[in-house]
Amino acid sequence: MLELSSQNVQASSDKAIVVEHLCKVFNVTKGVLRRTKTQVVAVKDVSFEIDYGELFGLVGPNGAGKTTTIKMLTTMLIPTSGTATVLGYDIQKDVKKIRERIGIVLGGERGLYTRVNAIDNLRYFADLYGVPVNTQEKRVKELLQFMGLWDRAQDRVETYSKGMKQRLHLARGLINDPQIVFMDEPTIGLDPEIAKETRNMIKELAEKGKTILLTTHYMFEADELCKRVAIIRNGEIVALDTPSGLKKYVKDTSVVEIEGFGITEKEVAKFKEVPEVLSISADLSENKQVLKIQTPKGSEIISDAQDILKNSRIYDLKVKEPTLEDAYLRLVEGSVK
Amino acid sequence: MPQTLRVIYSAFRMAMLHWIADPQWVIPNVIAPFVFTFVALTLFKEASGPFGLYAVLGGGMMGMWGNTLYSSGFAIEFEKWQGTLEEVVATPSNLLHVIAGRSVSNALFGLTNMVAILLIASLVFKVPLGVANPILFALSIVLTLLSVSALGLIFASAFVLSRYAQVFTNGLEFPIYVISGSMFPIALLPFWIHPASYLLGPTWGIEAIRIAAAQESVSVTFCLNVGVMLLITLAYVIIAAFLFKKVETKSRRDGTLVQA
Amino acid sequence: MSLLRIFFSSAVFSFKAQFSWLYPPMWLAMKLVMSLSQMSFFVFVGQFLITTGSADTNLIAYIAIGNAVQTLAWNTVFSVINITSHDKWDGTLPLVLATPAHRLPLFIGRAMLHVLDGMMSVAISFVYAIFLFGVNFGNTDALALIVTVFLTAFTMAGFGLLIGGFSFYFRNPLVFANIFTFILLIFCGVNFPVQQLPQPLQVVSYIFPLTYGVDAARRAIEGATLTDIAPLLGQMLIVGFIAIILGYILFRSFENMTRKTGQLEAV
Repeated sequence: MLELSSQNVQASSDKAIVVEHLCKVFNVTKGVLRRTKTQVVAVKDVSFEIDYGELFGLVGPNGAGKTTTIKMLTTMLIPTSGTATVLGYDIQKDVKKIRERIGIVLGGERGLYTRVNAIDNLRYFADLYGVPVNTQEKRVKELLQFMGLWDRAQDRVETYSKGMKQRLHLARGLINDPQIVFMDEPTIGLDPEIAKETRNMIKELAEKGKTILLTTHYMFEADELCKRVAIIRNGEIVALDTPSGLKKYVKDTSVVEIEGFGITEKEVAKFKEVPEVLSISADLSENKQVLKIQTPKGSEIISDAQDILKNSRIYDLKVKEPTLEDAYLRLVEGSVK
Repeated sequence: MPQTLRVIYSAFRMAMLHWIADPQWVIPNVIAPFVFTFVALTLFKEASGPFGLYAVLGGGMMGMWGNTLYSSGFAIEFEKWQGTLEEVVATPSNLLHVIAGRSVSNALFGLTNMVAILLIASLVFKVPLGVANPILFALSIVLTLLSVSALGLIFASAFVLSRYAQVFTNGLEFPIYVISGSMFPIALLPFWIHPASYLLGPTWGIEAIRIAAAQESVSVTFCLNVGVMLLITLAYVIIAAFLFKKVETKSRRDGTLVQA
Repeated sequence: MSLLRIFFSSAVFSFKAQFSWLYPPMWLAMKLVMSLSQMSFFVFVGQFLITTGSADTNLIAYIAIGNAVQTLAWNTVFSVINITSHDKWDGTLPLVLATPAHRLPLFIGRAMLHVLDGMMSVAISFVYAIFLFGVNFGNTDALALIVTVFLTAFTMAGFGLLIGGFSFYFRNPLVFANIFTFILLIFCGVNFPVQQLPQPLQVVSYIFPLTYGVDAARRAIEGATLTDIAPLLGQMLIVGFIAIILGYILFRSFENMTRKTGQLEAV
């Protein structure tokens, strides 16, 4: 159906991506009349390697440096220091060679020419990527069919739903039949149905042998798709392992999940003072509050909980095995290390 | 087709598609040239001689420039605004070629101004519109178009590199109409402006267009004008290429390929 | 709403009036450059005609003065429209409309700044006319001229309110502003007498206060006193006030429309 090459043309490296101490500092000038300069460290020090054919995940909260890292690897940003190679090519010296061979899916509402249709969008980028003219038409059609956009292919992109635009981004990311595809939060903002379909497409691509580096802040997504996951926080990688490897960080802990009403920041703060509490994440919305407490002594924390929450109402209390998400929360909140 | 030409053509086609989607946007950029030509035609009405054609041709060139200045000048900013600049830079194609395609389409659409003026000139002002050498005429128009587009490229990069450049857009429209001698011979301008006039490709272009309209035979002056214009255009392209490289490196360093 | 439209209206056109306010040196530079370029363009066209014997030297003075006075159109009309349309784009319009302040004084108050700005432009242009193009201001009746320029700026600002009032109904008011300011060059006796226009078009000229203003300014520079040009100024004021009233009516009807439909535009 969708013909994409499943063989990788090896460059002079046995790793698809090699990153060594990449760092990116932005100089930001603010103000109109009186201009003040500040420095923002987006990526402090990041190093990792990705194998050919691997589906690799870069996970972290907003502002952690995921997007910045991807943009450096895809030559859209010049690093402040550090080196990296993609397919054996240096990201600063062999820019054109890298651009020819990779695909980028940044997603979002923008990044597409909304006043023209999907076919024209893809044709345009096919031209810019130098896709041979005789393959172009076929590939555009195949990609649009693969993404389920063929019936709406003649309509202006501004009439597309969010999910459709995302799929068009994906199609565009594959237009040059790239060896590596970089995806920045590919399922963000999508309806669960569409997100699921998208994940399946990503899995299919990986099965065809494409190397994929994706960023996400959904742990279950990383768990489902990725062979290995790097957790990035404040511009640094705090953990890099397979999903099961990461879960081991939290293997000696349980997660006590409490659902209640009337729980405030004050109570959350009190929990933090309890020595057995390794970390606590709180979702305090108006109608319901959910606390997730990581502790080595699962059931023993219950009496502390009842004490702290004596003025609130507890609807439900569960003691669970930690998931990858919990491992992530632990790592990101910094209670490990 | 070599890849460079393919990219330029593709960008040109994309720009055309956008114009077709929103054709009204050419209007604001050609208002000034249109009005100026109308005024010139009215003033020239009392005069004896081929002034009508003079005004129309000058107006056409002004239309090319007016549209190019705004549309090409903002070409890169527009991509940034659409959110597509990053995606375009991420391709192996040179941004210069991409914007060049857009610039050419802008100049071309600026020419539509000439069509409107031609109609008014012949209908309202009863100006006879015969052209002595249609082939050379068309050729000189095309070459002037390319020259104007190349100048537009310089503006496209300048606008990204300097915040102030954008504000000066407005200040640049009229001076060029004056300095290029679009509606009157440059000889009338003070001598110290002449160097600036001669450095502008369109100045030579408009002269070539006038010659082709008036004379049937190929003259040395015509060839001289075309030749100099081509040289200047080449210089523009070289300068633009240099500036574009700076634009891209700076944007990639500062992270300004996307709107903040 | 098309991104393209928002982009062009906010980025391209708002620079003209708005941006220059942010940087005083820039504002001055723009003023100096734009007045000169426009004037010199037409002066040289006129010069061209003179060298071919198709016009006499008075044409230069005619053109220079005409363009000098017309420069206030940029500031007054454009800026007024920019203010009113800016409210709309910024989303502050609903808030402005919600204040109990009397509309008319509110708008007139803001327009005053631009009236003064416009007068500055004219002054600069007159300087160019005298020193660069040799126009003789020796016989000028200063009082008559100053009053003329002020009243022209004022009535044109009023006209801007009228245009602004119309433009609320459309998505892109700044295109109107642009077209309008240039159209004045054709209709207001700026570069040639109104009589040289095709007959049917001449009627249009008398809608614009500028037509009267340019005429009065020329006379004042030739030596006419305030009493001499009073009738002209009177006509201009009438036209100006009609424009202000019509503009005001349009604003109020727009306001009512938004209250009824909850939309900020009709198109």
